[in-house]
Amino acid sequence: MVEALLQPLNIFLLGLGGGFLIPLLYRIGKPLPAIAFVVALGGMAVIAAVNFSNLLNGQPTIEVLTAGVTPPLSINLRFGLWEGFFVVSVSIAAILGAWQLWPRLRDSYGALLLYLILIMGINGMVMTRDLFNLFVFLEIVSIATYGLLSLDRTPAALAASFKYIMATVLASSFFLLGSALLYHATGTLNIDQLIAQRDAISGPIATTALLLVLACLIIELKPFPANGWGLDVYETAPCGIAALVSVAVSAGVFFALFKLLPLFENQLWLIAISGGATFLFSNLVGLKQTNAQRMLGYSSIAQMGLLTLALALLSKQGATASLPLVVGGLFVNHLFAKAGLFWLAGAVGQRDIDGWSAISGRPTGLLVFAMLLVAIAGLPPFPGFWAKWELVMQLSGAELYIWISVVLVGSLFEAAYMFGWFKQATRALPGQAAAVLGFSQMLPPIACAVLLCIAGVIAARLSEAAALWLFAPLLTGGVLYALDWLPGRVKCLLMMLSVLGVGAWLIGEVQGINRLFALLLLSGGLVVASAALYRTDARPGYFPLMAVMLLSIAALTRSSTNLQFFFCWELITLSSYFMIAQGQNARPHALPFLLFSLVSAFCLLAGFALADAANGTPLLQAFRTGGADASAAFVLLAIGFLIKAGAIGFHVWLPGAYAEADDDLSAMLSSVVSKVAIFGLFVVTYLAIRSEAGLELAHLMAWTGMLTTVAGAAMAFRQDDVKRLLAYSSMSQLGYIITAIALMSHLGWVTALYLVANHLMVKGILFLAVAGIIWRCGTRRLDELGGLGRLMPVTFVTVAIALVSMSGLPPLAGFGGKWLLLSAMADKGWYGLIAMGVLATFIGLLYMFRLGHTLFFGAARKAAIGEAPAQLLLPQLVLVAAIFVLSFFPKLLMDPVSAAIDPYFASTLVWEGMSLETIYGYWNPVPVMTATAIAAGALFLVSWTVYRIGGGRAAVHGIAQFYAYYTARTRPLAIPVATKFWDGVAAAVVASGAAVRRVYTGNGQSYAMYILYYVVALYLAAA
Amino acid sequence: MRTVFSILAVAMFAVIFAGIVGDYGERESVSELARQYLTLVPGDLGAANVVTGILITYRGFDTLGEVAVLFMVAASVGLLLSGGEGETHTADADKPRRPSELVENGTVVILPLIFLFGGYVIMNGHLSAGGGFQGGAVVASGTMLLMLALPATRLNHGFLSVTESLAGVVYVSIGILGLVFAAGFLDSHILPLGDFGTLISAGAIPVISALLGIKVGAELSVIIDRFRS
Amino acid sequence: MGLPISTILLTTGFLLMLIGIWGILRHRNLLRIIIGFGLLDTGIHIVMVATGYIAGGTAPIIDKALGIDEATTRAVDPIPSALVVTAIVIGFSVTAVMLAYAIRIHDAHKTLSIDVLTESKW
Repeated sequence: MVEALLQPLNIFLLGLGGGFLIPLLYRIGKPLPAIAFVVALGGMAVIAAVNFSNLLNGQPTIEVLTAGVTPPLSINLRFGLWEGFFVVSVSIAAILGAWQLWPRLRDSYGALLLYLILIMGINGMVMTRDLFNLFVFLEIVSIATYGLLSLDRTPAALAASFKYIMATVLASSFFLLGSALLYHATGTLNIDQLIAQRDAISGPIATTALLLVLACLIIELKPFPANGWGLDVYETAPCGIAALVSVAVSAGVFFALFKLLPLFENQLWLIAISGGATFLFSNLVGLKQTNAQRMLGYSSIAQMGLLTLALALLSKQGATASLPLVVGGLFVNHLFAKAGLFWLAGAVGQRDIDGWSAISGRPTGLLVFAMLLVAIAGLPPFPGFWAKWELVMQLSGAELYIWISVVLVGSLFEAAYMFGWFKQATRALPGQAAAVLGFSQMLPPIACAVLLCIAGVIAARLSEAAALWLFAPLLTGGVLYALDWLPGRVKCLLMMLSVLGVGAWLIGEVQGINRLFALLLLSGGLVVASAALYRTDARPGYFPLMAVMLLSIAALTRSSTNLQFFFCWELITLSSYFMIAQGQNARPHALPFLLFSLVSAFCLLAGFALADAANGTPLLQAFRTGGADASAAFVLLAIGFLIKAGAIGFHVWLPGAYAEADDDLSAMLSSVVSKVAIFGLFVVTYLAIRSEAGLELAHLMAWTGMLTTVAGAAMAFRQDDVKRLLAYSSMSQLGYIITAIALMSHLGWVTALYLVANHLMVKGILFLAVAGIIWRCGTRRLDELGGLGRLMPVTFVTVAIALVSMSGLPPLAGFGGKWLLLSAMADKGWYGLIAMGVLATFIGLLYMFRLGHTLFFGAARKAAIGEAPAQLLLPQLVLVAAIFVLSFFPKLLMDPVSAAIDPYFASTLVWEGMSLETIYGYWNPVPVMTATAIAAGALFLVSWTVYRIGGGRAAVHGIAQFYAYYTARTRPLAIPVATKFWDGVAAAVVASGAAVRRVYTGNGQSYAMYILYYVVALYLAAA
Repeated sequence: MRTVFSILAVAMFAVIFAGIVGDYGERESVSELARQYLTLVPGDLGAANVVTGILITYRGFDTLGEVAVLFMVAASVGLLLSGGEGETHTADADKPRRPSELVENGTVVILPLIFLFGGYVIMNGHLSAGGGFQGGAVVASGTMLLMLALPATRLNHGFLSVTESLAGVVYVSIGILGLVFAAGFLDSHILPLGDFGTLISAGAIPVISALLGIKVGAELSVIIDRFRS
Repeated sequence: MGLPISTILLTTGFLLMLIGIWGILRHRNLLRIIIGFGLLDTGIHIVMVATGYIAGGTAPIIDKALGIDEATTRAVDPIPSALVVTAIVIGFSVTAVMLAYAIRIHDAHKTLSIDVLTESKW
């Protein structure tokens, strides 16, 4: 009896019976229709869920027959795993949507019955196995949509609805004609029979018929450019209805395409191109959009394009095993993220994204918003991330490189406008009333966020990547977020404790060079993070994110496959983005940071995909053993890491993000987070050794690193803002490290690690010291600071030590690093680079001297209250101690470093086996120190002379005059070429988006014309 | 410019369609599926009208969906045209133009005939050309004439909507009866087949036909009435 | 012997469809556009029925004109006819909804020209 009640057929009985009953019940009693609606909708969902779970437990696919005879005589339906998955997903979305729309639905029994039958119709589209029955369900869905669209009666909404009707009626006309002609050609309407006789479908009539059916489905999926009618509806319909059209109706149409796909095996390229163009162009046009719902519309259409593309290409490649993860993952991701965003838009009630600052003071709203955006952008831990990864891996395996770039470029555009929207939401405007986010309105988006998390874990399991340690950073962050109501300092302590505990567990079994990085970054991270104690405010969300970031770094070092690596990498990016975005003035800089990080991540994704194919395995270890030539993979991976390291040309995101982040966060970014990119380079650079071309590329990388160093130093030299100065200095120092890695020799790599450690400590000290100065003086402009030496003696000492160590003056650690680097380059015969290195060191000396001099000597321009708070000084002192240890007991670090690096090079001939002792043998002698000091002195003398001859007409006016002269002299060198270039690129992209969107004239007849031409184009392309 | 594009679009579709017509050869025999229907409907279902047999039994699921479509249209049109700001036409409605004498008097004569004919078409759907949809449409055309002739007529929406709802619910229930007492959902074998070619035959087909007729007639009448306001 | 009946019907149907498309693309008035859709639909219905015709066939109704034995040889294909009933009902439904929208649009915009329906674009 229970079994009979839970039959899939009963979904239709509930839908139709419930629908028919509603007017009757309305006459009997007003509350009855609503009750019947809830019972029917809930019943449909329960039936779907129970049957789906039975199927998951291994029960066979359910065939539903009607009329008591077998198909093809009668119409049959099917409830298999795929059907169950779609039906269950749609049912959940339908229930949440009904909740969201309840205020509108409740009062109108007509709307209730339309909603109910709409959901039933979508289920019918998914389940039916009869072509004409599919048409009937398509019409049921369409007409229910038309009816529900009328819930909003504004002129714009009515106009949009009419255009929508025109387009969908045209499309379904083609379906009707096509299915009738198909029957004529094949004598059957049963989909299974049609697929079985696929080969018999030939000749002009049958082919045309097939194309007409295909054209209808593609048009219904709103392909670019024949989709203006869909966009208008997304823009003007009530949020709840738009959400329904975007996810549920599209799901039905997409599934129709999915099940008919075997019929279109000759048109798979066409379908993929249609999907790819839609994905790319919709996202391009979306860049220019400021209306929240229309923006979501562009994103919806794009996501359906991506789904179509993935489906067609994977089917083309026969990669059906990947379909559940890719298509299922992308579908669920789009379903809940998009519906959630539409519902959130309904709750916020701001049409234009400018108005979204109304939720800037609503932590829950922002959190849900952020989670949904992250999901849409295909970032971890949500299903879209795992699906995109698998998709790119498959495409790479099939050598479909163009398609990879389409997917990645489109995703970048989408992230750009979505996070541009988020930027508006985090910007508190004085005088703007905060949005009232009622619980009932927020429930559906919150539910979506939760469901996405669950789906993310399931997708991770499908990717065979689900492991507790991988999710440990997020789980820790989640627990800390639950405690976010505690006072700031308590949260900071909790964060440190949990990072210590979980981090120690995470890196417990990490070995080799990874272990070194893990220990260095985790301990350095904890020391720098402890500085946050100097602030007493609550900093909502900051500490959980910090925990996620630090633990993700730890997890990164533990990764053994490239997927795990990429997952952790993205988590680091995201958590640092959200932390930077909390900075007072960071808003304009957080978005470039994120976008460059995403470009970096996408380069990595593509690079990993290529490397995967070249290595033949996803294991990171395979990078170290020999394999096929992988120059392309190396280039992509190197670019990815170089962007993240702020290498020249890609550095434009760096100064703003470092300078405008919270002061203690800047220290973390510069000292710890920047090393993550270096770690990445360590992991993959070995690819370069595989071929001659690869080694040339390594040489190129060395030059990139050195140019970064010089340019960074030159720009640091010109800065008046202390934090910007340090940011550029950070970029400059990372350049050395990049060069060291590019040496591809034992000596080079030892040097690189040594420099990493040195820079971590030095920049930690400097940024924290500056944090203290800003805390006390309230400014970070050099021309407003001075004479702090007496007031802040401890800071003075720590900064002095750090500067000495960074500048490479003996006897501190920096000298050892520089010396190692120079000798390693001499070893290679890279004399040009050596010359550049000396030049960079000199410029470095200049700006560092200026920094120390201006801050601590001269007249006090702003009275500081006193020494920096102890919470800031303590980590600095710890780092100072570390510098001393590193300087005077280098073996402590060098021995394990050398031991860790040895296995990498032992098997190759790149380095001739110089022992550690030999290196120190070169390093120790006094003559070296003397020579260096003389060279630096000579350079200084030269520049001083130039200054005296060229500009120093007057007598010496002090150090400031000296700098002013050189600042003026170096101006031509410091034109912001890169900034201009990237600004130009961005402007060009947005302008092309603005040009493309001119096709959306708003005229219904033009839209009808586009559709007709689209159909003709499909016909011609297929014929 | 638009004209050129329009001409081009139509021309291209003309070419596509011409391809179909050019390739079309008139069929000499029906498809295998149709052959089965032509044997099974009279034989197994006991209905003389094969089309009706297919519509109501074999493709009954389609028909149920189609009824749902009509039902939704009535609701949609109701949603769209009822209430709201659209009540500005009452000024015209106050003094409706009288219809011509021919229409008024003709109605008196023809209307009963139209309804009678509608009923006939509905009830003989399984025997001759006709059926619930066709008959329902005839009935609704009668309603239309009534409105033209006597603009003051007010349809009882409550009654009509209860009628259409009931018809729908009973239709679904009959389908379920098929599930319980016969071989499947919407199987018309729940009633005896009777004598082939007589009014009471072909199992549940005439019952469903009648329900369809009632439902379609009521729905179309409601829709027409909505447009009047 | 002239053209086969089904070819004449097909041509008629397709011509009606083309006229409908022309109406949809060229006429500004919403009501005329709706009529265009009606013609398009009707054209498709005629094409559907035409594809079911077999040479010399008669209606698939068993009566004096068509004995039960010769049904399979002399009757036209009943399936397109069955489908077309459904298609007609759906076509009618769509027309009704469009007309209802046209009325509302007229209320809101005071005109039936499709050219004014451009509030949302880009």
